[in-house]
Amino acid sequence: MAVAAARKRQRRRNYHEAPLWLYLTVGSLVSAVFVVPLMWEIFRSFQPAAAISNPPSAATFGHLTLENYRALLTGQDDILRNVVNSIIVAVLTSVLTAIVATLAGYGFGRFRFRFSGFAFGLILLALMIPFQAVLTPLFLELHSLHLLNSLLGLALFYTAFNLPFGTYVMRNSFLAVPKEIINAARVDGAGPMRSLVSVLRPLVLPGVATTALYAFLFSWTEFLGALTLMTNDGLFTLPVALSNVETGTYGAVNYGLLIAGAVISMVPCIVVYVSLQRYYVRGLVSGALKG
Amino acid sequence: MAQTQTRTRPRLPVQPRPQGRSQRQRDARTGFLLVLPALAFVAVFALYPLVFGAYISLTDWPLVGAYHFIGFANYVSLIHNTVFIQSILFTLEYTAIVTLPILLVGYGLAILVRSNRRGATVFRTLIFLPFIVGLVTESYMGVVELQPDSGSINVLLSKLGIVRASTAWLVHTGLALTAISVLVIWFASGLTMMLLMAGMQSIPKDLYAAAKVDGASWWHMERYITIPLLRRSIVLSLIISVIGSFLAFNQFFILTDGGPGTSTSTVVMSIYSAGFAQFDIGLASAMSVVLIIVVGLISFAQFYFLQRDVTD
Repeated sequence: MAVAAARKRQRRRNYHEAPLWLYLTVGSLVSAVFVVPLMWEIFRSFQPAAAISNPPSAATFGHLTLENYRALLTGQDDILRNVVNSIIVAVLTSVLTAIVATLAGYGFGRFRFRFSGFAFGLILLALMIPFQAVLTPLFLELHSLHLLNSLLGLALFYTAFNLPFGTYVMRNSFLAVPKEIINAARVDGAGPMRSLVSVLRPLVLPGVATTALYAFLFSWTEFLGALTLMTNDGLFTLPVALSNVETGTYGAVNYGLLIAGAVISMVPCIVVYVSLQRYYVRGLVSGALKG
Repeated sequence: MAQTQTRTRPRLPVQPRPQGRSQRQRDARTGFLLVLPALAFVAVFALYPLVFGAYISLTDWPLVGAYHFIGFANYVSLIHNTVFIQSILFTLEYTAIVTLPILLVGYGLAILVRSNRRGATVFRTLIFLPFIVGLVTESYMGVVELQPDSGSINVLLSKLGIVRASTAWLVHTGLALTAISVLVIWFASGLTMMLLMAGMQSIPKDLYAAAKVDGASWWHMERYITIPLLRRSIVLSLIISVIGSFLAFNQFFILTDGGPGTSTSTVVMSIYSAGFAQFDIGLASAMSVVLIIVVGLISFAQFYFLQRDVTD
């Protein structure tokens, strides 16, 4: 006992560490600041709209209902199709980004060709272009390509702005594959596409997951681009549709609907992030440490 | 291997059929074909709009009909455009307000979550959630919770005796800026935390062990080991948050719509309203070019700092 206590004391002094109970308490309190507001909004979304728009009263506070969700998803001017639009654009963007970035990463990482440095530089240059500042010309361009007011057009635009990061991540993934594996596949007579599909695929899959995850979260939460490039209510993505709910385009302003809509937009992010977290952090670290 | 081969090859009296070269040519073609789709995407949807926008900014581009080349007239008119100038000043003010708090809060959080103690991973995940959920969704929540009398934030703060329950946060310039700044600091600190944490974890542990042997205090280790070796990560997270603030749009559009008047209108908001409310496409493009140059300069500053860091 005495020895254990002494060792514990010793360790604490060596590592300048606070006792575990204190660490956990402080950590929980700090985490609460970031999470409780989000959980609070989930609770609020189940309150009747009248309770949300009026000063709190003890009588109605605990009264919970599904009326906001019912009105949002089945009502006359429902946002269900906007949720579907968001899903279509987000899935299309992540699939396109993953495929195109994987091919490009393979090309830059494993093949030598003329101007490859220049081409890679061009793609990284796009990383520095703020999409917010090219929306006016992009609007005109998509208009002449008949891609304005089109979910496909929006997804193509999102893909282009997610590709630089994706290509960077995928190039690093391919560079990290040992040369021996590539050569072995080649000796066995596998062509470039064959080795990609059957030999390299499992090795670069974490990179693909990172790329797709970033593209999904980007397009699910993006607002300004969708606001600019979509002018038809029926094609709005969820974040843009909620601005109609906010201003009460569909009749009286109803904050119950707004909170419920915000929760609908929040939940997929949390689910996707929490389940694929390590891929997200991988991307962040590779970006952060290599500059 | 390959290098020695090429160097010795000229000495051979008869060159063997360069089996490797045709393979290399095939490889070059494959490589080029592989990167072509990505190049096309970036060229069509990012680089072309950039160049096209710069061109439009030199014209009086109308919604319909012919346009005329008018040189730098749009840029000259920007100097007298009080709404644009005001939005620049407002964006700078907003950036100045949120940048340092995001760094300091993020640094504090990184200290909390960088250890491998029990709970650290969970804290990291939870603290990062506001960033993942996104500022757009959270701004909508803010709209509801900042309402006078009914909003949770007002009710809570009035119970604590800080403000009156009837405070109308979003229709007063100073109050709106305060509320949005707090929201953004809460939203963005998690990202800075992650970037700094990654940097902290890559610092060799031996340095701390050696410092401890010399009897260094916690503060000394933080001051003389962590902060200097973290410079890259600190610069990177500063640049990311400054660029993010310069490009701010969503939170102001949703919470104040630039009001009252245009007093909380950001640069991106004035571009948006010049282009899509007043349909002055040439002017909007000129504003965009100014923004691209400013953001580009910040990015170059980043490269400069990071480059210098490497050679130090």
